[in-house]
Amino acid sequence: MAHSTSTTRSIPPFRSTECRPEWSARLRKVALASLVLPALLLAPALARARESLQVFVAQPYLELHTGPGRGYPVFHAVPRDASVDVLFRRTEWFKVRTERGVEGWASQAEMLKTVLADGSPFVFSLGDRAGFTSHRGEMGLFAGAWGGANYVSGYASLSFNPQLALEGAVGQFLGRFSNGVTGDLGLTHVIVPEARASPFLMLGVGEVHTEPKATLVQATNRTESMAYVGGGVRIYLARRFFVRGEFKAHWILTKRNRNEEADEWKLGFAFFF
Amino acid sequence: METGIRILLLTALLAALPGCASVRDWFHQRAERRAERRAAEAQRTEPRESEPPQDESAPPRVIEPEVSRRKITVPRITSSNVELGLNYGALSIEDFGTNPVYGITIGYHITEDFFFQAETGRSRGGRTSFETLGGNIQLLTESERRFTYYDLSLGYNFLPGEAFIGRGIAMTNAFYLLGGIGGTDFAGDTKFTVNFGAGYRIVPADWLAVHVTVQDRVFQSSLLGTTKLTNNLEARIGTTVFF
Repeated sequence: MAHSTSTTRSIPPFRSTECRPEWSARLRKVALASLVLPALLLAPALARARESLQVFVAQPYLELHTGPGRGYPVFHAVPRDASVDVLFRRTEWFKVRTERGVEGWASQAEMLKTVLADGSPFVFSLGDRAGFTSHRGEMGLFAGAWGGANYVSGYASLSFNPQLALEGAVGQFLGRFSNGVTGDLGLTHVIVPEARASPFLMLGVGEVHTEPKATLVQATNRTESMAYVGGGVRIYLARRFFVRGEFKAHWILTKRNRNEEADEWKLGFAFFF
Repeated sequence: METGIRILLLTALLAALPGCASVRDWFHQRAERRAERRAAEAQRTEPRESEPPQDESAPPRVIEPEVSRRKITVPRITSSNVELGLNYGALSIEDFGTNPVYGITIGYHITEDFFFQAETGRSRGGRTSFETLGGNIQLLTESERRFTYYDLSLGYNFLPGEAFIGRGIAMTNAFYLLGGIGGTDFAGDTKFTVNFGAGYRIVPADWLAVHVTVQDRVFQSSLLGTTKLTNNLEARIGTTVFF
């Protein structure tokens, strides 16, 4: 509101009647923008402030750290039965605000001991073995080989249930004879999700864009469809991390007489959320 | 040989996909049925033992407690693990001089120690000493001089701490190590690139961070006659916003 008033003041007084409508239209636009923009910017903050969850300390006290890390010192202790508002979460730490307005970081382990207003425990997703078995999604990055060329790739997956996931991967291969990018979309079936080293199978389709190196004859860029079948294993490391190694056998559906085949081997780090 | 692997994988997939899912359901259903049967048996046996004494000795209940428990809808707790930002700095392209570079980074913090980061940036290669001394020689065209990199890195925060301004302001900060792989578009070719580096992050507000990063991008180049590994050092400063 104050912002729009200052805008009005900065506009010089009108000299002629002809330019008044234009000026007033512009003024209206500026006033509207100055009202709408802060509102848009503040909207998420306000929504967040309104929706913050209140939890109650059920353990003797809740320790608040100065930063989101195990090494940051404890500067405040919230006593039993007092409440804190959960503002947001960053990795394994929760930013909370006490009734008196003190803000600090509480660890995931400490927050697990708090309760909601009805006395039920405060539950949230944890980065542990149970999370490895059943989670919402995965992301990771790989290094490997694609048809003999160096291969860099990243993937993201969305889990329908612990066993079945929709998975998308993009990659780039950089070889001696050609460079290119690949994109895959398919289904992954995890055979034994509970196991620490759990194997999985994959089936899907994709696209490959190949750019042969200019020194070779008939060097034209081409984009082709492909289908793949593959398998691999994911091994749980710690927290949210796991190692994932996989093999994909691709059939490239070319416009030439023969379809081509390409093998993809890769190994990488991934995490679940 | 390869076709063999393919057929084997396809068969395994075909057998495993519907097979495993249904077998697991069986087990679940069987367990559920067993639990139901047990509950039914328990119900059948219980009344005989407990009912008679209740009827004879216990007085009828006068007050029926009608406590309706408050139902709490738990709002979603927002996670703020994604860091998106812009940066600007200087990139020393081996043999092509030092030039300004600008880029975008997007990071995801997995734990308090580790994060993933994707980076892309653009610079322009200058003139080599060969071109400068040789007079009117042009080794690369203008478009070929454009240097674009993109990579995926894993970062590790070490030496986390707090920085203070005077008495009242404390900001969390950390040094971090970066290492990853990616590609570089330069001189009309895309090269497989390995990067490693280190940086410093200071967080003045929960949603804002300022970074100073030094990174080396290494790739093989045979542009000037011999094939060699080129080191392309980059120093940059940037700001990121947490989401």
